[in-house]
This record gives sequence, C-alpha cells and structure tokens, in this order.
Amino acid sequence: MPRKRGGRPKLLSLILKNFATGPATIQYPFEPTPIEPDARGRHYADLSKCTGCSLCKIECPADAIEMKPIPEEYEVPKKNPRRLYPEINYFRCVFCYRCVTVCPVQAYVTTSEYRLASEELITSRELSFSTLKKKEG
Amino acid sequence: MVAKKVIEIPYVVELPVGPQHPAVHEPILLKAYAEGEEVVKVEINTGYNHRGIEKLAERNSFYRNIFICGRVCGICNTVHANCYTRAIEYILGVEPNDRAKYLRVVAMEFERIHSHMLIEAILAELMGFDALFMNLMLDRERIMKAKEILTGNRVISDYMMVGGVRRDVDAVKRDKLIDLLKKTRERVLYYRRLWMEDDTILKRMVDVGYLSRTNATKYSFVGPVARGSGVKIDARASDKFDAYGDIPWNVVVYKEGDSWARMMVRWDEVLESIDMSIYALEHLPSDGPAVPDERKLPRRFPEGESYARNEAQRGELTYYVMSRGGTMPYRVKIRTPSFLNVIHSYILYPGYTVADLPIIFGSLDPCISCMERVAVVDLEKGVRTYVRFKDLAQGRI
Repeated sequence: MPRKRGGRPKLLSLILKNFATGPATIQYPFEPTPIEPDARGRHYADLSKCTGCSLCKIECPADAIEMKPIPEEYEVPKKNPRRLYPEINYFRCVFCYRCVTVCPVQAYVTTSEYRLASEELITSRELSFSTLKKKEG
Repeated sequence: MVAKKVIEIPYVVELPVGPQHPAVHEPILLKAYAEGEEVVKVEINTGYNHRGIEKLAERNSFYRNIFICGRVCGICNTVHANCYTRAIEYILGVEPNDRAKYLRVVAMEFERIHSHMLIEAILAELMGFDALFMNLMLDRERIMKAKEILTGNRVISDYMMVGGVRRDVDAVKRDKLIDLLKKTRERVLYYRRLWMEDDTILKRMVDVGYLSRTNATKYSFVGPVARGSGVKIDARASDKFDAYGDIPWNVVVYKEGDSWARMMVRWDEVLESIDMSIYALEHLPSDGPAVPDERKLPRRFPEGESYARNEAQRGELTYYVMSRGGTMPYRVKIRTPSFLNVIHSYILYPGYTVADLPIIFGSLDPCISCMERVAVVDLEKGVRTYVRFKDLAQGRI
C-alpha cells in the first residue's frame, strides 16, 4: 500500500472549518437530546391488565423485579386474585425489555424516557398505581 | 571522609504502566523493563476486573443468559449475544428465517463500524492528536444513532433472540439507516485518506510494533491483528453463518504487519461493513416475521452440547454451551479474542521506545473486560497460583 508523506497537517482545513460552526455537542440541560420514540426507556406494569403471574420476575436477567402485594385501598381487577404486582427497581434494571416481550397479557407500558435520575421514581410503584382506581369511601 | 555506602542504579528500570488506564480506559498492568529509552521486556499482568460471568451463566436459565452474555463486553455485546444465541439454537434445532438473519448481520456490522471508529479515535488520542479524536467521535455518533433506530439502544442492543431478532425495521427506518450509512461512508473515506497521508500518524505508527506473519500464527493472534500481518483468517468467511454467505464482501488483509497496517485493516473493514449493511438493508428478504413470539419458545432444553463461533470486532469469538436437559446450562465457556491478542502481545514491545508502548498496545484493540482471567496471589508468601475449573466446580477454594 502507498504511504504518502504529506507536507502539512491534513486535518487543518477541517479544524478551521469547525471554528466557524457552532458547538457540535448537544447542550443537554438547555435543549433535549434527540431520542427515538421507540427507544427502550422507563417502563412499568399497567395493573388493570396485570394478572400477577410473576413470569416477568422469573425471566428478569438482572433480578430487578419483585412481586409485591397491592394495598387494600385499591380496586384490583378479578383476573388478579392473588393481588400481586411487579415492582421494577430502576437502579437494578438493565432495560432489556425481556419482561415486556414475555408478558402473557401485554401489561407493560413502555416509554422512551431515559432521564432516570429521580428521588421519587426509584421503583415503578407510583407509575403502576396510577393505572388503578382507589376504592370509594 | 570515606564513603560508607554505594548506591547502585540498576541498568534496567522497571516501569509499571497501569493498572489504572495504561492506554485504553481499562485496568491492566504492563510491567515494562526499559534500558534507557528502549523497552527490553514487558510482563502482562491481568486480574483486575474479573466478574465470573461463566459461573453466573450456570446459575441462570438459557434465556436469561442471552442478556448476561451480551454484557460480557459493552462494545461487542451484539456479537456475544449472537454467538451464544446461535449456540443454543444448535442445541434446540431452531433456525431463524432469512429476514432475521439479514437483520442480525446488519446489527453486528453496525457494531463493528462503531467499535473500529472508537479504537481509531482512541489511538489518535494516544498519539496526542486530540483534534482527530474529537472529529472521529463526532462522526461516530451517526452510527450510534443508526444503532438506536435499529435496536432501541445506543450501545447495549439486546437484539438477539432464539429464532430471530427482537425488533423489525419498517420502510421508513430502513431509508433512514441507509441515509446515515451513506453519510458515514463519505467521512470514513476522508479519515482513511488522512490515515495514509498525515505526517503525525505515519511517523508514530509506521514500522512500530512489527508482527511477522510467522509470529502471528505461532502465537495465535486473531482478528485485525492477524489480518494486518497477512494472515487471511475470518470466521465470517470460513463459517458463513447467518447471512454472511449471501452478502458479497471481502476479507481485508494487509501485509505490512506494523501498527499502521492493523489500523488500516480496521478502516477498510469499516468500509466493507458499511457496504454490507447497505446491501443487506436494500435486499432485505420478506419471508415471514423476523421477530419470534418469546412467550411460545420452548422452556426446557434437550440434552446436548454445541460450539459456535463468530468474528467479533477484535477477532474470533467462540462459545461452548453444554446442556444436561432442563432450563439451565451445565457449562458455558467463552473464549474471547482479546485474550489471545493481549496475553501474547509481550513479543511486540521489545526494541521500541517507551513512548511507543501505548501505541502498540492500543493498536491491538484490547478489551480487558472480555479477556479477564483470575489469579490468586498469596500476599504473605508472594506466591501466584491459578485456579483450575475442576477445583472451582468442586468448591475447593
């Protein structure tokens, strides 16, 4: 292969051009990062569909899902007799979406939310309970 | 006054390079012995990042292991997952359809493109050429975006599943991907020319870290390192797994054998990969769904063992999976390419200067998290012992 020796740094023209244009990095907190709408982001179980079968817990490669009882004050559909729901720990989760694809009733709601730093949403508890109604009275 | 002590300075200086980020940002210790400016010997010490993934794989089900094996290495995760998935497909006797095979090739080639561009950028940084590093990383973003469109994530793709892939592409996505690839191709051609003509690069890399063809085969170097020394070895060409037999492409071989040749192999491979991906996307077969229903896959596996190999970005990767029936594998053995390339790289350094050491090491594209092995060091006695698998399985340590 030919190995030509050039006299001057070849990258110089590109560097000079880059000076004239704006910054290439995304100015993140001030402007949002462009992300695909179907990227794998934060997901949670829709408890109006969930049957509490624990299959997602068994299949999770990171052991991020724990089956917990639903508190008494919520109305639970009849197909969930054991009153269990999957609680995803987002710190452990690797976002492989195995739980989403393996769910027999397709109960998982997926979003492309990638900004996971939060004090409240460490687990999927609040997002999941927002899909249930509270008992009257 | 008569001197009472004589301090002798040894002729050869021991110079520890690492274990904190010697050249790439990964932990490995290169203990170099320098005579003046010249390196005379290098010892390679590993064991800083062992994670026990093979043992972990024995405690998890076959399907969970697809995701665990994908996390052996971040940069080559699709290739690892593909190799493991094919190994368990051989046990099950399942074969994906053509569309899934083409999509697998596209995902793996995307990964090859971004991995090769990353090591080229890191090598530019090691040479002190930071402007080139920045520009290369900027152009690499296009491929990361393409991977996000295809698989749903920038780096860890989790794209492989028994009997197919986990996501399909539609016509809109396909056109976007082809557009991104064509834009990247122009930039890659520019950088390849730069690599052949720029003085800084040529002075630092030409005739540095020479590896002869004999040594490349004798010390079993694999991947672009072997191909840079004129050895035509490529598991994609010899095995023709997935759709590599249907897509036209060439194995890139350079005869020079120095660091420069190894990096040029990578540039040419990037161009080949872009052409392969464009071809695969344009000729995507439509013989049924590429995405299998994961709820209907068999839960119990038959008895059997299988051996799969794949050409990762750094060389030949092999997976051996043994099943004794049931839901969990009895044994998963991973042989990664970086292990061969890094452990035997001590023959490359002698004769070159200390400043050449990171360049030679970087040109091997080392990936420490892939190749880590464990050694037990008794600190009181200073004895170093290696643990056999037999002892580990019987819990003797």
